[in-house]
Amino acid sequence: MTARPVRCLLGMLGVDVHSRGLRTVARILRDAGVEVIYLGEHNSAAGMAAAAVTEDVDVVGVSFSVSTYTHYVRELTEEMAKAGAGDIPVMVGGLIHPEDLELLHALGVTMVFGPDSSTDAILDYVGGLPISQRGVAS
Amino acid sequence: MSGADREKFPEVDDAHLRLSRTKTWGGLETEAAYGPPEPDADYAEQLGDPGQFPYARGSYPQMYRSRMWTQRTIVGYGTPADTRAGLEAARAQGATGLDVVLDTLSQEALDPDHPMFGPEVGSEGCSITWLPDLEVLLDGIDLTATDIAWHATVGLYPLVLAYAEKQGYDLTRLQGSHMPDHVTLTLSGYGEKLLPVDLAQRATVDVLEHVARFTPRWATGFPQCYNLRERGLTPVSEIAVGMAIVNQTLADLAVRGIGVDQIAPSMAWVSTTDVDLFEEVAKFRALRRVWARTMRDRFGSQDLRSQRLRIACHTSGRSLPCQQPLNNLARATVQTLAAILGGVQSVETCTYDEPVSIPTPEARELAIRTQQILAHEVGAARTADPLGGSWYVEALTDDLEAAALKMLGQIEAQGLLAAVGSGHLEELIDQHNHRTEQEMQSGERLRVGVNAFRSEHSTPPPRFQIDHVAVAAHVAEFRARKAARDLEPIRDAMRDVRGATAAGENSIPAMVRAFGVHATSGEVWGAFRLGLGHPYDPFGAVAPPLPLD
Repeated sequence: MTARPVRCLLGMLGVDVHSRGLRTVARILRDAGVEVIYLGEHNSAAGMAAAAVTEDVDVVGVSFSVSTYTHYVRELTEEMAKAGAGDIPVMVGGLIHPEDLELLHALGVTMVFGPDSSTDAILDYVGGLPISQRGVAS
Repeated sequence: MSGADREKFPEVDDAHLRLSRTKTWGGLETEAAYGPPEPDADYAEQLGDPGQFPYARGSYPQMYRSRMWTQRTIVGYGTPADTRAGLEAARAQGATGLDVVLDTLSQEALDPDHPMFGPEVGSEGCSITWLPDLEVLLDGIDLTATDIAWHATVGLYPLVLAYAEKQGYDLTRLQGSHMPDHVTLTLSGYGEKLLPVDLAQRATVDVLEHVARFTPRWATGFPQCYNLRERGLTPVSEIAVGMAIVNQTLADLAVRGIGVDQIAPSMAWVSTTDVDLFEEVAKFRALRRVWARTMRDRFGSQDLRSQRLRIACHTSGRSLPCQQPLNNLARATVQTLAAILGGVQSVETCTYDEPVSIPTPEARELAIRTQQILAHEVGAARTADPLGGSWYVEALTDDLEAAALKMLGQIEAQGLLAAVGSGHLEELIDQHNHRTEQEMQSGERLRVGVNAFRSEHSTPPPRFQIDHVAVAAHVAEFRARKAARDLEPIRDAMRDVRGATAAGENSIPAMVRAFGVHATSGEVWGAFRLGLGHPYDPFGAVAPPLPLD
């Protein structure tokens, strides 16, 4: 079996239109050989969870520039668990306040890339992820 | 609360509208403007004195001596009552212009009871959905005398008109402004789902035609280049894309029978200043020149009010990192200075806590004090175009103009709407952002506290907290009042909006009537969407209160 590239689902939840950062991250990941499935703005948590399963991704990334992110992250991790995708790591980026880190991790977020994170850190993390065996098993 | 319960909304203190001193801080008298000792033909052609075509040196001969720039502050959080209290506090601090920001739902014409987005209500701005909200927010404020700038695009204008009609205002005397550039939003993350480009441009043209015919003193922040700069345009591409939007829209309005001199005087370019002071000053000078020549030579304007551009500037929020946030006070001060040296007509200075939360009251006060210090202590307002004649700034002005005109030609060769719809402009924005990120990584572009000169002691400032109890009560009251409405007049009004839109008539009169019978923003905009063949609710989760068919 030949190793395939890491597959990464990126999207915005809720009504946040500040997708500039996520678009830049998508481009940087693609340039590094990651297969990015970019869903753009205005996704529902259930929609993203379903896409994570059907696209057989290795990681899900969401970004926020509004203050309501803990609500949407909770929805997303719940929907992913319901869809049987609770094992897919979730990374969160954007204007994340340090006071919310603990809650985000408690909600099941594996990595937070806040305003102080470098793109190298994102590349290192995504590049080092284990490849999903989901598609192989079925 | 009724008007009788509330004191009259305080007027602007007249002293805040005047330049306080024409002498230098050391006591030397100064002139309103300076220029070459012997102006030649090239000077007259390329620059002109302040107040002279092509207005590169400023739109008015005396600039801030005749009228101080409007010192604005942005307010918007929680319920209409919360934001009303914020407006009163801002006026008490000396803000001469008040800006109201709507929450994300209201900006996207989604009602506060939309089933998918409950926590958004009031969280990034004020929830404004229908007439009862304006009755609270604007109680006792004279809309023919008070300058409220609405940071809003979708659906706001007909809602304010419905309120003004109900209050008995003479619409020809209605003051205030909003930002009817919908295409900018399509490019700024609203996308095809919320604002397909055909619908966006149709909405813009309907609003501007109605402004020209019925509310001549209502100002329009058009084009809205602030969002595009924040999204990822440079000063050069700001001029190019902004002028492409203006040119397309003036051409569309001409088809409706609206000439340039009927609408251009109502337009004010919404711009920004990033941290490169000289580049931003040069941009404003080049922009005024491009605008003046375009209005006169391309559109045949004969009215000087069309040719001399007014500019509204909101300093860049994107430029303010959350690392060592107090550094942002220095950045915002330089950006505000750039706007003034560039001759703009109004400024909103970003608060230093912009990357942390919506502003705390302390941060808002610091932002307005920054403007007051520049106006009254620094002397930045004393003389028009103080950098004019600087070899550096004149060369930058020429270079910016040439590069912008070249890019404008490329966009117009493709057609603006095609350039938006095909993703060409979004790709341009992505490329700029990617390049900037690479330069940050390589250290070619340094940002203090971010990729250089980092500090161990960076602590985030306090976060603004909205009153969630008040918001929950507001939503509960909205639901109750909405459920008690007589639905048939609303359905009829929504049919009219849909019908007028589908028939290619101006949709605004029908929208005003719909808001007048207490339709909500989601209902009015949903009917407009249906008229152009788009789904009523972009998320497919809400239906009209009664079936329209």
